[in-house]
Formats: sequence, C-alpha cells, structure tokens
Amino acid sequence: MARGLVAVVAVCAWLVGAPVPVARAAGPTVKPWDGVLIASFNIQVFGESKMAKAHVVEVLARVVRNFDIVAIQEVRAKSDSIIPDFVRAVNADGSRYHYVIGPRQGRTVSKEQYAFVYDTDRIEVDPSSVGIVPDPGGRLHRPPMHARFRTRIKPAEMAFTFWLVDIHTDPDEVPQELDALSDVFRSMQAARPDEDDVILLGDLNAGPPQFSSFQRIPGVGWAVAGVTTNTRRTKTYDNLVFARPATAEYLGLWGVLDLQHAFGLPLDNALEVSDHNPVWAAFHPCESRPAPGQAFPGMAGAPPTRR
Amino acid sequence: MDNSGNQDIAALLRRLSATNADERAEAAEALCRAGEAASGAAADLVRACGDADDRVREWAAAALEELGPPPPDATKNLAELAGSSDPLVAYWAVTLLGRTGASAASTATLLAGLVDAAVDIAVRQRAAWALGKIGPGASAARDALARAAGNSDPRLARLAAEALSLVGG
Repeated sequence: MARGLVAVVAVCAWLVGAPVPVARAAGPTVKPWDGVLIASFNIQVFGESKMAKAHVVEVLARVVRNFDIVAIQEVRAKSDSIIPDFVRAVNADGSRYHYVIGPRQGRTVSKEQYAFVYDTDRIEVDPSSVGIVPDPGGRLHRPPMHARFRTRIKPAEMAFTFWLVDIHTDPDEVPQELDALSDVFRSMQAARPDEDDVILLGDLNAGPPQFSSFQRIPGVGWAVAGVTTNTRRTKTYDNLVFARPATAEYLGLWGVLDLQHAFGLPLDNALEVSDHNPVWAAFHPCESRPAPGQAFPGMAGAPPTRR
Repeated sequence: MDNSGNQDIAALLRRLSATNADERAEAAEALCRAGEAASGAAADLVRACGDADDRVREWAAAALEELGPPPPDATKNLAELAGSSDPLVAYWAVTLLGRTGASAASTATLLAGLVDAAVDIAVRQRAAWALGKIGPGASAARDALARAAGNSDPRLARLAAEALSLVGG
C-alpha cells in the first residue's frame, strides 16, 4: 500500500468496525491528512425528541466527528435550532464543524430538511452554490439539496472541489425517483463547466440491483455494495453515487459505520439513534490524483510527501 | 414475529390511545422503531396522524413511511380513514391502500372519488397512484383517471395517465 494512503487506511479500518473504547482522548478526532471522508446519514426523525436524549446526541456527535462532511437526511423539526444545537454538541470537544441546511420539503404537512455538516478545518463550502434541485414536474417527493465544497489544502488551486447532492427518496415511488435522480445527476454534471465531480448521496431506499437508471450514465458507479446499511442489517438503502472517470479522486475505500458494533450498542439502543447506519467513501484531497512518484500536498497542516 | 413481539405491539397500541400526550408520543416513537413488525398497527398509525400532538403525528408518519404493506384485514379501516378531513390521515390511508395492491380493488370507487374531488392535491395524487397499484381491478376508476390525466397539475396528470395504463381496458 502506498505510504501516502496509510493514514486513510488506518482511519478507515476503524470505521469498518473495530471496537471503540468507551473512554476516548479529549480533543478533536484525528482525521487522515491524505483523504477526505464523505458520509451520508439518515438520522431517523431528527428533531426535538432525539435532541432531548443526551446519550443519543453523544453517539451522533461522535459519528459526525469521524467524517469531513456528513450529508444528513430526515431532519424533522418545527424548531430551527435542531441542527445548530447539534453542531454545538459536535464542537463540544473543540472541533470546528459548521452546517448548511435546506428548506422544509414534502407533499404533506410532515416535512423534512436536508443538511450538510462539515469540518471547517478541512472543508469549505461555496455559499452561493447551496440550493434545491428544481423539480417542476413533481417527480421527487423531497428534491435533493446541492452544495459545492472544496478541501482546504495548500496550494488552494490543487484543492478537490465537488458537488454533493443530498437525497431521501420516497419508498413508495423508488423506480420513478431513481429515474428522476439520474436526470438530476446529469444536470449537476453540466451545472458548471469547471466542475466535473458530482457525488449524489443519501437514502435511496434502493440498492445497486435497482440502479439501472444510474447505469445509463457513462462511467457511473457507487461506493456501497454487498453489505447492508440499515441498523437492523437487512437492507442496502444508502449509498454514494459518482462517475468514476471524472471523480478519479475516489480512493476505492468505503464503508458502513455499524452503530451496534462501533459503539457497543444493543439493537434497541442503536435504533434509538437511527434505523440507518452512516455510509462513507474516501476521496483524495487534491483535484485528480497525482501520478506515482509525484509530490502532492495533503490536507491543511500536513507536510507534503511523496508516494 | 413471535408472540412476545405481538404483545409488545399490542401494549404500544394501548399507549397510543393514552390521554397523556407524552405517553402517546413515546408509543408512536416505539412503533416507528419497530419497523415492519408494526404493520398490524397500520390503521392505528394512520389514525395517529391526526393526533393533536406534533410529536405523535411526526413519529406516526415516519413509522408509516417504513411500514411496508398493511395486512389485508386493514383494508376496511383504511378505506374509512381515507375519507378523513385531515389531509395527513387521508394521505397515509390512501398510501397504504395502494401498498395493498390488487387486494384493495373494493376501494376503487372511493379512490376515484378522491382523485376527482379531494381537497388536498397530495391526496388526489396518491389516490391516482394507488389506483395504478390496484391495477385492472380498479376499472371503475377509469373515468376519474381520464379526467385527472388532463389536469393542470403535472404530477396528478402523470400519475393518472400511468394508472390508466395499469388499470387497462
């Protein structure tokens, strides 16, 4: 394994299921300097009830601290303070996360919001890029939220930049919504001539065998396959979808953070946190990976190294 | 599901009708966490979508989204709830009838009426969708679907047209 990937692999080994000690050292979670960890997490009914449970918030905060960006689905709250309060909890250890949140959406009075929570020490967002994908035909119950991010590396012109598109499909209209999302993916690819990286991530309520719509897009692939992503370990519903030739930054590393295993929780306690496990994939922090033998910078604060 | 699971769901259903809102909210949350094991509680959860307490409504709606198809013996109760004046109750009753599929053919006329005249557009749309799920057994709804296929609401028009092709004839 190339030396430059050792840090990423070491962290990823933890994320795929090594037990976590109950007591952890104080201070922000150390993340790899040679990888960007992007996650998706459906936090079932993330609202006032869940935020009122300190033990649940603690687990959620510890989940988030492992990743550079977490795309969240199912924020369901009347209050606008849920995500700000949650990010304060994440930052209680000295971390410096911030967030982007979308509008309440849904066809009934029961509405959901999408959010991105990201580590500002390692990631920047372009505020002008945040929005909801237009859906004039009403093909999507909760049209996805998009935002463009960049890694914070020096020199900045080498930073990996990318769109994230956060989605939670309607389980009653999955094939139709996946068709619509393949159109969304293409439109995001064309949104900016200077941006070729699109990562669509979230709760698709479907696994790879149902991804025929995505497969019509040249080069499209996905991170998660062959494992379950829900807390009960019965379904594969969550994923990250991107086009491989364009997003060559993908390091080929991905995982499912199993809440029961990672936090030593019995099923009932894990379900209190969510009925979904977070899923993640690792990307290189530089726009397109350097050739073997070429020096490359890492994330903020890291010394440059050679492979 | 073993017998202890049934007893748990039964106990939760009793608490879902409690006079205390906190108890109802906790019950709704627990039923949501039960996932598909709570499918026998379908009609009760639909009814809970009309609860006075926000938390009960949110957990009930979340539970229904993940519940899967209801048991066949729930059709009669769901058909009654589909006529509710509460849009969230009606929406979920209609959705569960759609998930029932062909077995809900007896509700085709009711659903056709909702396609034509439900006050809430989301209920009209879901009724069209549900008729498509019922399929050929929903032939009584053809006229209503044909009218809706020309509606100015693009989603209603599309769902009605799709349902017409599935109902056939």
